Amino acid sequence: MTAHSKKDSEMIEIWDDVVRIKDLVLAIAINSITTLGGYFAAPNHAPMPLLFGLIGAVIGFIICSLFIKPKRIFEETESGE
Amino acid sequence: MDLVLLAEMIAAAVAAALIYTIIGIIPGTDETAVLVPVTLILVLTGVQPVIVLCFFISAVIANNLMDAVPAAIAGIPGGVMASPLVDHAQLLKRKGMADRSLRKMAAGSLIGVLVSVPVSLLLARSLIPLAEAIKAYADPLFFAGAVLLALLSKNKLLALASILPFTLLIEGLRYLYWGIGIVPRGTTVFISFFLGITIGPVVLTLFELLNKEKRECLKCDQPRRITLQKVPFEWKSLNPFHALKKQEWVTSAGASLISCFTFILSPVGMTTLLGELFSKRTQDPVDRSMLAITTMNALANATYLSGTLIPLIALGVPLSPVAIGPAHALFDSPPVFTATHNMHHILSQTDFILATVIGAGVALIVTYTLAIKYAQSICAFVFKRIPHEAILGLFCAFVLLLAYMDAGWMNIGGVMLIGLVSGLLHRWGVGYGILFMVLYAAPWLVLGL
Repeated sequence: MTAHSKKDSEMIEIWDDVVRIKDLVLAIAINSITTLGGYFAAPNHAPMPLLFGLIGAVIGFIICSLFIKPKRIFEETESGE
Repeated sequence: MDLVLLAEMIAAAVAAALIYTIIGIIPGTDETAVLVPVTLILVLTGVQPVIVLCFFISAVIANNLMDAVPAAIAGIPGGVMASPLVDHAQLLKRKGMADRSLRKMAAGSLIGVLVSVPVSLLLARSLIPLAEAIKAYADPLFFAGAVLLALLSKNKLLALASILPFTLLIEGLRYLYWGIGIVPRGTTVFISFFLGITIGPVVLTLFELLNKEKRECLKCDQPRRITLQKVPFEWKSLNPFHALKKQEWVTSAGASLISCFTFILSPVGMTTLLGELFSKRTQDPVDRSMLAITTMNALANATYLSGTLIPLIALGVPLSPVAIGPAHALFDSPPVFTATHNMHHILSQTDFILATVIGAGVALIVTYTLAIKYAQSICAFVFKRIPHEAILGLFCAFVLLLAYMDAGWMNIGGVMLIGLVSGLLHRWGVGYGILFMVLYAAPWLVLGL
């Protein structure tokens, strides 16, 4: 097995798209930390914890989108027969 | 109704249309999983009900149309509701007609919304006299709903056989939480169990990854190849009637009308059934596929809007697969909305009509234009920039947060357990609708047995 195919073999299909296991674990960890972090850091009266949790989730999502590369090969073709 | 509120409603509808344009395009995102957490958070943070409804209606329409867009130009469904039309869209794409197929989808969506909004509002009004009688039997009706959906599904016996064990799993966890005192007796843990069901397939796959042999089987040796077909733009293509033949808009409108009356049945099921039924008599494969994608897009919107609006306006009880699934937060998001005090009780008839019309109108204008003019660049952006890992991470974090809020750390384990079981049942062929109905009927079923 070459080094290249070994790297590829860490990928799996989940919910209709391909992900790399290591990146998925990282993404879940980052999102959970930012979301729960926001929730616990918020002032302790409703609805602040939920709102901070949501903001944390969005921040986590942006961080993941910036650092993880999508596993899709992408090409564009002209229309027509 | 003052102008500030009106402006807020329009702003909410625009925001929903933009957010769900992106979410809709992302492949594989389940409608319930993407609509419920956001709506729920809006309700719980105290946003006015009429604004939440407006947001929700706009989100549904945007999500449904954008689900179909990647099917037209890349041949992959953006979500569950686009799966019935994938084969037809692929055929058209192979023939190099992605641009026409896209315009027909958008025009179909438009027709679905234009038919289903007034029909649903009228149908809801005519059901109001029966509401008290229906509500008195809500619990047994949820059970009957689960049995009915089970009998209509592909795996009838499997679905029927899984009703009782799943009931016991849910009630078992609730009684455990009451027993050890992490939840006050009488408080029903619901939302996190609900999300556990929705995210079930993901939880199941994540657990399978921990098994070495399973991990080998799940491996996928190459990244997904996506070929996007370029779509030329002309101003005249913004005219919806330019895109459709007479037969296409008449069929779409007729199918949408029928689907409003069958609001109690599964939206994906009805879209497949009516869409195939109406298009299969057309001989030419290209014409047939064009008719199918137009009709199915109309149906996707019509089933969702009628399934939300009719139970919401007439009953206040989520007695339809859409109401109990994607629209669930409008009916039940304790402590703000409960079974006896939700949008049905708070909003007036005028509020309902205004929120629906503004939400639908704004969503149509925004998404129709975006789909026709910018479909290709939005898809390219989503496929190139948004990793699937980030989406999955986001949903897992949502579920984690809501599980903790419902019943503390222990409930994270409970939600995983529910996710595992429902993920397995779903993979075997038991629909979400059945599991949601069981979740609702569980307390009644356990006490009644």
